Formats: sequence, structure tokens, C-alpha cells
Amino acid sequence: MNWSRTHTLIAGLGLLALTNAVALLGVAYNRSGEPEATLRLTQRDLRTPYQWRGNRENSGLALSLIWRVLNEQSTETQPYSWRYGGTGGTPPWLDKAKMETLGFDTSAAAAYSDRSRTRYEKQLPRDVLLVLELDGPTYQRSLELATQYVAREEAKLASSPGDQNLGKRVKNAHEALESETSRNSRLFVVDAGLDAAALRAKYPDAGRYAIVRGQVRLESLDRNSEKVRGYVSGLSVGSINVPFALRDVFGSAEQVNDIDQRNRAPFEATVAFGKRLEPWITEAAKK
Amino acid sequence: MSASSRTEAQQRADEIRVFQKELDRLEREGVLTLSDDQRRAVAEHQRSLLAQYAQAFDIDRDTQSRQLSIGMRVASFLGALALAASVFFLFYQFWGLFPATAQVGILLAAAFGIFGATFVIQGRDATGYFTKLAAMVAFACFVLNIAMLGQIFNITPSDKALLPWAAFALLLAYTCDLRLLLAAGILCLIAFISARTGTWSGMYWLHFGERPENFFPAAIALFFVPQILDHRRFQGFAAIYRVFGLLTLFLPMLVLANWGQISYLDFDRTLIQGFYQVLGFVGSAAAIWLGTRRHWPEVVNTGLTFFVIFLYTKFFDWWWDIMPKYLFFLVIGLSAVLLLFVFKRLRAGGFKAAGEASA
Repeated sequence: MNWSRTHTLIAGLGLLALTNAVALLGVAYNRSGEPEATLRLTQRDLRTPYQWRGNRENSGLALSLIWRVLNEQSTETQPYSWRYGGTGGTPPWLDKAKMETLGFDTSAAAAYSDRSRTRYEKQLPRDVLLVLELDGPTYQRSLELATQYVAREEAKLASSPGDQNLGKRVKNAHEALESETSRNSRLFVVDAGLDAAALRAKYPDAGRYAIVRGQVRLESLDRNSEKVRGYVSGLSVGSINVPFALRDVFGSAEQVNDIDQRNRAPFEATVAFGKRLEPWITEAAKK
Repeated sequence: MSASSRTEAQQRADEIRVFQKELDRLEREGVLTLSDDQRRAVAEHQRSLLAQYAQAFDIDRDTQSRQLSIGMRVASFLGALALAASVFFLFYQFWGLFPATAQVGILLAAAFGIFGATFVIQGRDATGYFTKLAAMVAFACFVLNIAMLGQIFNITPSDKALLPWAAFALLLAYTCDLRLLLAAGILCLIAFISARTGTWSGMYWLHFGERPENFFPAAIALFFVPQILDHRRFQGFAAIYRVFGLLTLFLPMLVLANWGQISYLDFDRTLIQGFYQVLGFVGSAAAIWLGTRRHWPEVVNTGLTFFVIFLYTKFFDWWWDIMPKYLFFLVIGLSAVLLLFVFKRLRAGGFKAAGEASA
């Protein structure tokens, strides 16, 4: 059979149609039936990506999910880590046993030679399922830690009242508590696994827990430690497109682009996670 | 003899021009004299061929039109890239002003519409320059189409998108005889095969570039494509496959020869680097040998380029810190002279072999 222009035309149109059909049917399947989870997020948990010179012409709007991990050990040394989210972290539950269940080889960590360390650290991030918890026990624990931090700094200042440095630390601790109470995201990554059904059975509240795809990697070993730690490095779908009909809810361009977030118009958005664990905004309203 | 493509027709026209010049020279020097009838028959045959080619393929009939063609080719290449970028930014600037159904409608209409337009233009454009522009825009529209569907509906990023992009680019490349789109299709294939190779070890596909060995299966596959599939109808396509195959092989080798710690191999870093340095030298030397033997100039040139890069990076590692700069550059210069002698001998050997073969 000679390949003619008509064959090419049919093949090209077929390829375009098939690819679009696969993509759109996937979307329809994801959004069919009851969502796998539905979270009611606010301006604390959703943020517009930073607008830079290169994407200033983009007329679309996408909101980033501001997720955090709680590491109680680091709150002593890094009090400001409470302020920021979406940048990854090493939660205590992501330990040796958990990393092994996620497919990482942690055996090399026990050996002290440089080569076994290299073998251990060479492992690249893996695609796993992460559990996001909204305004749950982990956020309450974070709030508690911020309160304890304020109390500790105030006690130190009380023992040396004239110390300007301690005074500054108390002021910072109060700011951190204020941020944690009213501005920081309440969305925490609290677990990881490979089986969505097992994770849903463990976290049945679909209004508080959402299962999403994300990446986890091994954290480099400390020089004098063989402790295996995992690092949550990102979500596969980190930002959610805002539908045209809901665009006005998220404020003017100035408010949307405000990096400080203090002047942001308050809103509440309902984000559904479908059968393929892909999110979409179903409702949004100004508060 | 009839030509099946513009490139083939152009090649024949160039050969006719060279033949005419040489014939004039031979007649002036008294080596060959054609009778009037013979001269008339040859001239008539060639005139008829050129007229036929000019009508069917709009070939360059003289040096001046050839020079202008080069300018048109450059303009067409730059225009294709600029138009593709323009389509992307046009959608980017206005897509937020439409609801999702309209966004999808615009993306589909653009992808289908420009693909159809490419066909119409190809039917009317004997030069191929406007077809190249349209085909490149059609490919950009399809890439934009799938990428934006992902963004609009928050679809999890997947390496599988690279496969239809590659298929579409290759379809346009083979239909419209476009090397630019062949390169685009090959790049999509390299990314897809490498990502798949990477995911076998469990990594998240977007990190495939962090283990250069992931590129090796794609390199081998590309190099052998022109051996398995006959590309004689598509001038320059086989060479592009071979060049991309070699680049996909030697660039990762070069990276591993300097940063052994990112290899899959579980050996000491310096041992891995040494292994890939040796492999780089042997591989590039083998490419030069194979290219010379099979008369693939692009393979010889790519092999030679990488042989020199491997050699000079080693010189740099060994001597940059311990030698005075004048001595370092003297060694580089002398090594270049040595390479010239080696290639002169190879060239002479090639001529001798060709002479014996013709005798």
C-alpha cells in the first residue's frame, strides 16, 4: 500500500482527536461521581504563584496549594519555618520503615563508608501518594508549639529583663504565633503510601483528608548520624486553575499579586479531589 | 530519471550544472569533443529535465537563485520558530478571559485548523518554505493544546504526552519533508524513552535527566532507525537520526566522564569517570571509523568533535593546574597538528581504497 496525502491527513486528524479524547475522558472520569475528597480552603491555604516578569502576560489564574510538614525538632532552631509552606520538609513520620514501604533502599545508611553513603544518597525522588490534612490535629499541634515557643522566650526575657536580643526574640515569637493563628496554612502532609484505598481507610474523613500524588526523596545523612529521614519534595499538581466564573472572588490583580498576603481579600474555596486524585475548584466565595 | 522530492530534484539540477561546466572545460582543453548532434541532444535533455523540475519543485536553476534560497530557508526557519512562539503567547495572554469550554474549543480549533491549513498550503507551495512555517505552527498548536488542557483541568503531568507530540511531529516531517520537525519529533522521542527508562528504577519521571545513562537506550534506538527503515526518499533524514543518536550517546558520556557520582553504576566515583572517559574515546574513535567506512560524513564529524572534546577535557584535568599556560596551549596546538597528520593518513588511505575499488 502506498502512503498517500489522504492517509497522512486521516492519521493526523485521528492522532489529534485521539489524544484530545484521552485527555478529556480522563478529566471526565476524574470528576465523575462523588469526589474522593472535598476540602474547604481559604486564602491561608491557597495562594497565587509569584508573578514575575516572564509570566506577567499570563491572563490565567492558578492558586497554589500551600502545604506544610510539621517537624517538631526543627521548631526550636528554626522558629520561622512556621511561616512558610509548599517548600518541602522532613516530617518525623517519614522514617526508615515508612521509606522502605515507599520503595527506598535504606540498608546502605547503616554502613559508614563514603561509598555506601553515596549509594544511599543517589536514590532519586519517587512518586507516592500523600495525605493532606486540613485544620486537623497536626495544625493544632503546630499552634501549640508556637504558643510554647512564645512562653519559652518570655521566660528567658523574664530572667534577663534588659537583654535587647531576647526582647527581639519575644517580639518575633509573638509574630510567629500571630501568623500561625491567623495567616499560615492549615494544610499539612501527614502520611504517605502507595495504596490509595489503604490510606483512605486510615483517614476516612474526606472533608479533612485528601489523598494526592506527590514526590518523596531520601534526606542526606548527617555526618555523624545514620538516621534515615525522608523529605516531602512536592505535589504532582501543585496549583489549581481558577475557573473563569469564579475569577472575581479572588480579588483585584494588586491583591492577587500581593506577596505579603496580609492585604489579601479573604475567600473560601471548595476544592474537590476526583477519582484520579486531581483537584478542581467547585465553589468559591468572598468571606 | 524522475525525481520524487524537491531535494532529489535539486541535487540532479546541481549535478547537471557541474557537468556542463566540466564539459566546457574538457572541450576547451581538447580532451573531449562532442558532435553538434550529441551536444544538442544532451542540452535538450537537460533543459527538459530542468524545466520539469522547476515546474514541479521550484528548484534553484542557477547560483543566484541558490543563494536567495539559502536566505529563504533561514527566513523560513526563524519565521517558523517566531510564529510558534507567537501562537503560544497569544493564547497565554487571552486564555484567562474565556470559560473552560471556550478555551478547549479554541485549542481544538487551532490544532485541527492549522493542521488542515498545512495540508492546503503544502498542495500549493512548491518551494516548501510556507509549508515549513505552517507545519511548525501546527506542531506548536498541538503541543499547546495538550499542555493547556493539563493546566486548565489540573491533570497530573505525564511523560506519555511526549509520545503523541513525537508522532505528530514525525508525521508532519515525513509528509512535508521537513528536517526541523524531524528534529522536534526525535527530541520528544528521546525525552519519552529516557523518562520511561528512568521510571523502571522507580524514580519520578521528571528526574530522568539526573541519571545520564537513561539516554543510552534512546541513543542506540535512534542510531539504528535508518538501518532498519529505508530513508532514501528523504534526503538528510538518516543523517539527522545518526547525529541525534550520537549526541544522545556522547553528551551523557561526557557528563559522566566528569561527574561519576550521578551514574547508576555502584562503583567509586573516579572509577566510573575513568570508565566513561575510556568509553568516550573508544566510542568516538569507533564512530570516526564507522563513518569513514560507510561514507557517513556526519558520523565522522560528530565522532571527531567528541573525540577532541574528550581529549581536551582530559588535557585540562591533567595539566591546567600544573603547567604554565603557554605550555598548556602549546600541547593543545601540537595535539591538533598530530590529529591533522592522523586524518591526513586516514584520508590518503580512503583515496587509495577508493582507487583500488574503482580499478
